[in-house]
Amino acid sequence: MSFVQIKKPQSLQKTLGIGLTIGMALLWIFALSGGVYVSQNKLNELFDSALAETAQRIMPLAVVEILNRDEPEKAQQVVSFKAHEERLVYLVRNNLGQILLQSHNADPTVFNQTLLIGFNSSTTHRFYGVSAVQNTLHIEVAEPLIQRQEAIIAMAVTLLWPLVLLIPFCFLGSWAFVHYSLRHILAYRNEIESRGSGDLSSVKIQDLPTEIIPIAESVNNLLDRLQRALESERSFTANSAHELRTPIATALAQVQRLQQKVSAGTTQDEMVKLETTLRGLSNLSEKLMQLAKAEGGGLLAAEQHNLISLLTLIVDDSQRSNAVNKITLTLPKNREYMSVIDPDAFAILIRNLLDNAIKHGDRNQPVDISFSTNGILRIVNASSVIPADTLAQLRRRFVRSNISVQGMGLGLAIADAVVSGVGATMTFNSPATGQTNGFEVKVDFSTIKG
Amino acid sequence: MRILLVEDTEGLGEVIQDQVADEGHAVDWVKCISQADSSLRTTDYDLILLDLMLPDGNGIDLLKKIRNLGETTPVIILTARDQISDRINGLNAGADDYLVKPFDLSELCARIAAVSRRYAGNPNPIIHLGALEVDMTKHLIFRDGITVNLTAREWALLEAFTQRPGTLLSKSQLEDHLYAFGSEIESNTIEVYISRLRKKLGKDQLETVRGLGYRMGYSGPQGR
Repeated sequence: MSFVQIKKPQSLQKTLGIGLTIGMALLWIFALSGGVYVSQNKLNELFDSALAETAQRIMPLAVVEILNRDEPEKAQQVVSFKAHEERLVYLVRNNLGQILLQSHNADPTVFNQTLLIGFNSSTTHRFYGVSAVQNTLHIEVAEPLIQRQEAIIAMAVTLLWPLVLLIPFCFLGSWAFVHYSLRHILAYRNEIESRGSGDLSSVKIQDLPTEIIPIAESVNNLLDRLQRALESERSFTANSAHELRTPIATALAQVQRLQQKVSAGTTQDEMVKLETTLRGLSNLSEKLMQLAKAEGGGLLAAEQHNLISLLTLIVDDSQRSNAVNKITLTLPKNREYMSVIDPDAFAILIRNLLDNAIKHGDRNQPVDISFSTNGILRIVNASSVIPADTLAQLRRRFVRSNISVQGMGLGLAIADAVVSGVGATMTFNSPATGQTNGFEVKVDFSTIKG
Repeated sequence: MRILLVEDTEGLGEVIQDQVADEGHAVDWVKCISQADSSLRTTDYDLILLDLMLPDGNGIDLLKKIRNLGETTPVIILTARDQISDRINGLNAGADDYLVKPFDLSELCARIAAVSRRYAGNPNPIIHLGALEVDMTKHLIFRDGITVNLTAREWALLEAFTQRPGTLLSKSQLEDHLYAFGSEIESNTIEVYISRLRKKLGKDQLETVRGLGYRMGYSGPQGR
């Protein structure tokens, strides 16, 4: 079994910021290394030159000093006039290697045992040797290598300090520059993020970089195709509904006319049954089409609609069709709650909840509907208390809490599909809030994004 | 009432025409927008029953055209389109009511009566005319508290007068109100029905203005 590891998406801004900073730092380090290398060579040349110059300057003085002594073969250490750190030390030796003169801080053990002419180095020192008086006298000046290394290191450290400061500045600068350069892409992203899921209109592509425009155009084409697909699906559902309802309406009307023509008796009883069957068929096809629409998507509109005026219209319509039941409607004073839920989806939701309340409620008690300013709809019908385990099942298709009532058990399943599709929440309570019995449906529309 | 039914489905149109005619109304049934347009140009209708999805266009367009011409004839949309957006569009275009198929024929008749009452300026279904009390919804009429039985035609004639109380209605107006296109009308039909109504409701209820027509509920030049 193989697992495909999904890579976490990277921020382009962050990647470019880090990349540019690393690139800048590496470039600086390469430049620094080159600079140190060249400086080291030049410093060595300078130090060597100073070493040779020192040897050649001291040598005549040393010759005069040695030759003028009473005992030229006796070793002499030059005393310093003033205490100081002696970086350059020297030895003057005869051709036999005997030390005739040495600087006050010279350690003979660090010098070469053989008398060498010109430059040479040990692990710790750099030397320069020169002979005079027909090679009878030899001077060797030594300089500790650490002195040169310290100079190079000091220079490298001095050049590295700006880099330490440059790295955060470079990161922030490149981040800001990239952010500025990506501003149109970020605006494009924000526009896509901020729009509701029902908004399938084209996204503005002006000011986008040329590299991104083909992607944005493809997105717009995709949105356009999606919108057309949803519209044709809706149109198909509406036309299917029309094609199905018209013959049912014809059959139902003809049966009703026939009932008026026949006298009471078996034939009329049979016709009543036929009418009931036709109504059942009509209701079932209606519910199945509503369920198909609810589960088919496209339940959010591009524009906001006032749910309260829609609710008033639907309740008014239902009140006229169900004259037996009284519906009490409680609305907020401002009579406005705007939402992006599609008006037809909202109507399907309310009609199903209302049908459920009328069908399963006590016919002598009113159905109470209220809509609060914060987008909460409550529909309460009088009924005996429904057990909690039955309440939990009511969202499922073809489940009914009361089998003595004619119904298909689809109404609340359709309502649940609409509520889930739009991002609202629906809860069932029995007994109803603040009552000892009854059934309450509460739908919170404030959770709909868009 | 003279009603124009615009419905392209053969079986349904026939049943609606029969049912509404049985209620005592004169129904002209047409099956497309162009026929409806021609009928509206030649006849004054009291109400239009309008389907939306018609072979030569959308009924909404016809409704908008009627309203743009300043016509106030009540319109009830009969359609299989049940979406709330369609209903809002229909009402915004100037429809007075919207009935979704399939519907009960009795509900259709009730809506026709309710809309015509609204247009008559009296949404109350109980009308008092002297000693008469008329329940327009239940099609009941009481004379001094006693029920009077009327036939569908007699009821339709009474309805024409109750819609325009005190207004003089000519014989041809009453014929238009009672009979659809192509109906055979005998020359003295209106007189026969007027006579029957007088017999059932009382002689004083219906006034004949010789050479001009008939009126009901007229209270004299000063008014009531």
